[in-house]
Amino acid sequence: MTTEAQAAQGTVTKTVPAADLERVTADLAKTPGARLADMFASDGEVPTLRLVWALESGYLVTETEIEGDQYPALSDVAPAAFVEECEIYEQFGIRPVTGKPLNRLMLPPHAGPARGVPGGRPPGPTLPRLGHPPARPPEDVHAPHTVGGQAFEFPFGPVRQVGAESLYYGLVTSGEEVVDVYLFTWHKHRGVEWRLRGRTPGQAMFFAERAEGLSAVAVGWAFAAAAEAALGVAPPPAAGRTRAVALELERLYNHAAATAALCQATGLTVGQSAAEIALERLLRVNAAAFGHRYLFGVVEPGGATRTPDTDVLRRDLPGAYGELRRAADALLGTNSFVDRLEACGILTAEQARRLGLVGPVARATGIAADARLNASAPQNGNPYVGHPVMVATAEDGDVFARFQVMLAEAAESVRLIGEFLDAGTAAECAALPVKGAAEAGGGSGLGWAESSRGEVLAWVALDEDGRITRARLRPGSVRNWRGFDDACRSQNVFTDIPIIEASFWLTAAGMAR
Amino acid sequence: MPLWFARGLRRGVVTTRYPARPDESAASLPTPPAFRPDRLTREAADRLVAVCPSRALERRDDLLVFDVGACTACGRCARAAPSAVNASEEFELATTDRSALIKKIPIRGDA
Amino acid sequence: MSPSQDETETARRLREAIARQFGRSLHIRTLDTGSCAVCEQEIRLLSAPHYDLHRLGFFFTPAPRHADLLLVTGPAIRAFDVAARKTYEAMPGPKVVVATGACALGGVYPADPFVHGNVGEVLPIDVWIPGCPPSPLALLQGLGVAVGRLAEKTPGLTFIAADPMGSET
Repeated sequence: MTTEAQAAQGTVTKTVPAADLERVTADLAKTPGARLADMFASDGEVPTLRLVWALESGYLVTETEIEGDQYPALSDVAPAAFVEECEIYEQFGIRPVTGKPLNRLMLPPHAGPARGVPGGRPPGPTLPRLGHPPARPPEDVHAPHTVGGQAFEFPFGPVRQVGAESLYYGLVTSGEEVVDVYLFTWHKHRGVEWRLRGRTPGQAMFFAERAEGLSAVAVGWAFAAAAEAALGVAPPPAAGRTRAVALELERLYNHAAATAALCQATGLTVGQSAAEIALERLLRVNAAAFGHRYLFGVVEPGGATRTPDTDVLRRDLPGAYGELRRAADALLGTNSFVDRLEACGILTAEQARRLGLVGPVARATGIAADARLNASAPQNGNPYVGHPVMVATAEDGDVFARFQVMLAEAAESVRLIGEFLDAGTAAECAALPVKGAAEAGGGSGLGWAESSRGEVLAWVALDEDGRITRARLRPGSVRNWRGFDDACRSQNVFTDIPIIEASFWLTAAGMAR
Repeated sequence: MPLWFARGLRRGVVTTRYPARPDESAASLPTPPAFRPDRLTREAADRLVAVCPSRALERRDDLLVFDVGACTACGRCARAAPSAVNASEEFELATTDRSALIKKIPIRGDA
Repeated sequence: MSPSQDETETARRLREAIARQFGRSLHIRTLDTGSCAVCEQEIRLLSAPHYDLHRLGFFFTPAPRHADLLLVTGPAIRAFDVAARKTYEAMPGPKVVVATGACALGGVYPADPFVHGNVGEVLPIDVWIPGCPPSPLALLQGLGVAVGRLAEKTPGLTFIAADPMGSET
């Protein structure tokens, strides 16, 4: 895509030679308002490392070709990059030059090259990588604490409580207090990014929205927008508003579900039931308006396939939201509930910034960042231009603050849906060019959306026939799980963990993909 | 706590009577397709097979083989051939026999 | 492959035994083999006020030892095989395995190095519930079929649309 077109879209891509990468990264990390939003690599003659920065003016993508298997240590200047450094090593075999230990995070233990371990597990099948497997497998996670004296470590999961996703916690404790908690999500790694290669954006959409089904609209939108940027097209404005209505409905039901989970975690069954009534009514609104309770199949590269039934939406949404509002008001007046949330799972703004957290988790520490506000001109099809969002923040960074942010966002979502319906929605798709992707859009593009969990990013590279050579999906869960152990540590006990988990409202599926 | 009790009484019962009685919310659920044999040509059937993202469709000579178990009710086949594909409106699909979910639709549109 | 006479008879006797033992009270353990998280949300809603599975004698239990029925979602990610088998084997017999959702039934993900694509490759399945996701109503119907309280509709459905101008073609 031309530089003007990119700038008009709010994304700038800069090639940075490997020798300059550490300095450029350090400079960007120091820029006021800058946040490292993602880091990933692509295969090629040599691997290309890309960093995605969210700046006040829009996104900046730096591209660096990496000769050999090492690159500068970026997580020393941007700790937000550590999880990505581990993932990149597992998939592409390149690692920071400092040689610091990297954890095996995304791929299961048997994903290494087939080799026998004397006296140990027989070799397993190798798993395909997006690039080349590392020469030396990454170490197993070592929790950064001393397990000795009174502290002991015990594993929990991946099979957990009923109706919860599979997720493994390594819990380090001296009894009740949480010394550390680390997570493995590799039981849910389906290889979505690997699977998208060779498909057209239309075919890939089906899998992209199922990467994290509870954020189907957000991840689907980010992916579709990335493909559109790569092809140099924009959805028709009315279709953009259709997407926005679906996205706000998705935010609403997720916040209702998080409220129910908070009540369950605190043992307030009546509150849980009240929130579940609201959640079920919201899901039925989704089904009546868009034909699917979880809004699958609404977003399509180029636009939207379905337009909401506006009469049904206007008729049924106020009652469903009112159900949530009344439940929330009752909860806010229940001291035994509020007491459990206050001062629980505290994250500071400094921690949120250092780790690059997104969504209500970050906003509850006072950081007023929301992907719906990201700079982009109307021709990008960003429907929020002209419908500004009032971003909800709080100060204390605890579970209660996150709950308050979610409630404020739910009210704002209802208001925005009304505005979008008034402005008009449609099921329309801009035609996607099939051939000549390289000329039309430069062949690669970045897309984003604000899911209920936070900013989702996607980046797509297409070949001459419009087929995907690399698709990067970065749901909000990938960013925010790394804040979970910070929130759980110190002053929190076991029984606080489910409460903190509910207030984050992430998924293992979104992290693992 | 009295607040919650009173609130609950006022709210009343929302519980469905299903399965003893039908539930009207079922009407807005997405359902697998039902096919019109007279409108299915071999060419249309091949298009449907190609467009299905979940491998629920396969053509064997003049039969469109439909695996209801693999179907996600995504609607792509209905959009690809609207005259040949309707909504089945069936959501009660559970079975103790996996082969009962494999349906054979005759292709009679070429005749 | 259609079942033999013996297999059909065995299945019928097993279902009757299940209905006798589980007809009034059934404990359910869930198992996520790699879903997108939406199937789990629908399953959680089974105990919500709109659906209330307790009124039908169904209960959730976290302990496989107490469970009668294993409700399985996801495309059977290979890295999860050990955990899946351990959960199944920890359940005492008689037990019923219900695969739920298109991923678990063989749709969405084909077999590849990451996933089996079908829970039937890892566990013996007794009941299949299609959907993406199966709604709580579909899940209730599936549980009713699993304990022999509801008749199956699927064998009688053709998925052939009637000709609006006349009789079914």
